[in-house]
Amino acid sequence: MNATSTAKSDYLLLFRGNVWDRGLSPAQLQKVVSDWMAWFERLKEEGKCLGGHPLEDEGKVVSGKQGRTIADGPFVESKEAIGGYFYLTVADENEAIEIAKQCPGLEYGAVVEVRPVAEVCSIKERAAQIGQMATAAV
Amino acid sequence: MNTESTTGEYMLLFRGPHWDRGLSTDELQQVMDKMMAWFEGLNSRAKVKASQPLGAQGRVVSGANGGLVVDGPFAESKEAVGGYLLLEADSLDEAVTIARSMPALRYGTTVEVRPILAECPIFQRHPELSQLFKERAVEADQSLAEAAA
Repeated sequence: MNATSTAKSDYLLLFRGNVWDRGLSPAQLQKVVSDWMAWFERLKEEGKCLGGHPLEDEGKVVSGKQGRTIADGPFVESKEAIGGYFYLTVADENEAIEIAKQCPGLEYGAVVEVRPVAEVCSIKERAAQIGQMATAAV
Repeated sequence: MNTESTTGEYMLLFRGPHWDRGLSTDELQQVMDKMMAWFEGLNSRAKVKASQPLGAQGRVVSGANGGLVVDGPFAESKEAVGGYLLLEADSLDEAVTIARSMPALRYGTTVEVRPILAECPIFQRHPELSQLFKERAVEADQSLAEAAA
């Protein structure tokens, strides 16, 4: 154990916008993909990224009572759509933001959402605060 | 037609994290008990690879070199992602069936079901790029083998 090490925090980077590669020249495209892969590998080697995946453009959105409504996702061709994610373990939010700023897709319009991973669901917390929540569930 | 190579893993994104507003304490307790049971049931069937809630605070980074950093608009939005569940399933149909059994759906939350890909979809949209990277990987393997020899 390293006594000087500080507690790590977990963050999710959500990559939004799945059409920013349109209109790029082959050279630009090749560079941004190479840079992205190198960025991912470097973060993994540094132990700052525990994993990440691209998400398929197709999928479903389930809503309504008993999940009655099943629609094809509106995420195809959208600037808001989530195209993939990285799971980060870093010192603090500033480090997570600094890493997000290195995303090679940014200059072509990609957007990175930086979200702290919560220990406890906020709704569960609220229920616990009301004092009605069974404590057994973990 | 879908030729993308998937991994048998699906990401469930829980959208609209404020479905609990306006519920009575009893209702909230009941639905949370059901949520726990739902999750434990999936977990005992080895369907859950990972699952976590996300904090309401965070940032959105955009622009060249991440020049623009703003507080996320996700806190009050119905579209906001409040948490995720990385699911192991045999098919999109099974993942959707599991999503449909999520107890908080009746209170207005939404579950987005997305297959996890083995490879970035940019390669699918640009096959010539995929070919180039494959050739490059082969060359790298060869030079490694030569260096080792």
